[in-house]
Amino acid sequence: MTPERTPARDLAPVALVDLLDRLLGTGVVVAGDVVVSLAGVDLVEIRLQLLISSVRARMEPSS
Amino acid sequence: MSEPETGRYLYAVCRGLDPAVVREVTALYAAPLELVAHQDLAAVVSTVPMAVFGEEALRRNLEDMTWLEDVVRLHDDVVRAVAVRAPTAPMRLATVCFDDAAVRARLRAMYIDLSHVLDRVEGCSEWSVKVLAPPDELAEAQVAAAAPSSGADYLRRKQTEARRRATRDDSAADAAARIHDELARLSRASRRLPPQDPRLSGLRGTMVLNAAFLVPDADRASFATLLDQLRADGGEVVVDARGPWPPYSFAMLDAR
Repeated sequence: MTPERTPARDLAPVALVDLLDRLLGTGVVVAGDVVVSLAGVDLVEIRLQLLISSVRARMEPSS
Repeated sequence: MSEPETGRYLYAVCRGLDPAVVREVTALYAAPLELVAHQDLAAVVSTVPMAVFGEEALRRNLEDMTWLEDVVRLHDDVVRAVAVRAPTAPMRLATVCFDDAAVRARLRAMYIDLSHVLDRVEGCSEWSVKVLAPPDELAEAQVAAAAPSSGADYLRRKQTEARRRATRDDSAADAAARIHDELARLSRASRRLPPQDPRLSGLRGTMVLNAAFLVPDADRASFATLLDQLRADGGEVVVDARGPWPPYSFAMLDAR
């Protein structure tokens, strides 16, 4: 399943790396009766692994 | 207890948002965007399948960069659609509650903290300012230079190079600190983020500052003027400024 996008209206676009910095690293964190919260996951590790592997994939010549 | 089939994904909490705004926006998985209200606050939510956002599934999906990018972009689309209309506290990615009662309970429990966050960001936007020290071309040139003529020559060169590098790093750090402090004086709040790898940022050189500033919209012109001035006085460093953005870096609830 691919989420479908709605185009943004105002404000300047944010680069993916800056969004990841912000959406994984900051933002309101709620706890308690929330089913899923990323607060318990080691996000920095996941994020770096993801980004580095993605960058490597992009740098390698496509087959 | 078995996991429910759907959950309510929280994008942001707004104050005084016109409910008509969310009707124009499509949420994750083409679901309608909705509001869950408590007093003057409204959580911006949509229904998501727990087969995708349940704890186990989420861990798996987070490893899929394409999926992550789609969700991050869509989360951002929703946040900016509401942030241009009302004071907005963006939520961290993938915050999912059981149902509307759970969302409302969170709003009630966090009401005072959320109100403080919204007071802070009201009428402001986030600006990203990165300071980059240019690539060390002299060091690169020396790698290619002739081999030392003796051991003493080698040591001498090494010491000179270490001193030169230390001076260079100090001056870039000083420039970054000055730029941060000057911009912070014109901002309602500021935060330092970890510097980014050039492979991720696409920016050349060493990132010596990755900062976010919460700037009142009324002060945008003076912020831009100050940026120009700092660029002119910056010497070797390059200043990369972006904005206005939703106040992503300034929605943390304090001391939690």
